[in-house]
Amino acid sequence: MVGGFVIIMVSLAVGLWLSRRPGGTADHGARQARGERASGPGLAPVTAAGWRRLAAHVAGTMLGGYLLLVVVVVLYYYLVARVGGAFIKSAFTGCALLIGLAAPVFALASWLTELRRARTTHKAHPPAQQPRPAP
Amino acid sequence: MAHHPLIGYLVWALLFGALFAWEGLALSHLSNYVPTLSDTFRAIMRYPFGRWALFALWLWFGWHIFVRGWHFLLRA
Repeated sequence: MVGGFVIIMVSLAVGLWLSRRPGGTADHGARQARGERASGPGLAPVTAAGWRRLAAHVAGTMLGGYLLLVVVVVLYYYLVARVGGAFIKSAFTGCALLIGLAAPVFALASWLTELRRARTTHKAHPPAQQPRPAP
Repeated sequence: MAHHPLIGYLVWALLFGALFAWEGLALSHLSNYVPTLSDTFRAIMRYPFGRWALFALWLWFGWHIFVRGWHFLLRA
């Protein structure tokens, strides 16, 4: 099962990487022309408000997904099959544990990605030096 | 472990094989009309309910693999 999880995640990552390459399956320029969001060194640095919006977006997705799964699990348990092994309790606590583990890793990965992008931008377009006053 | 008819396992193998064959076709540039799995997920994630459903699916997958199905290597 872990092997299946890894294969699917690697497959998704490869697909994402290939589609984001210049001239990839979903061409970056074509996506930008359609008004879709893009990433890369050409973008302005993320502001504090941007980080707050990202946090709210991620929190909303996590909460919505968690509640949706809990509803499905409870309906499945009571309407379809009474699965053993503390099924309901495991769903509540196990999924909360996964979110608790994944959220900090996602936040750290996002921050490191933005840090790397900002450094790349800084190297490519260094800020103009202030002219020295004439003696 | 319960014994099941071989055909049941073959159907699973066929389904996963078809999934990865379709993804391979999408990535191969043979056809511009086949979206990759990432493109499909991106399309679903435009909508809040789609994001919730995908995150719930991801949670369900992880819960089964890492919480319910987890056994330590040295456990008797």
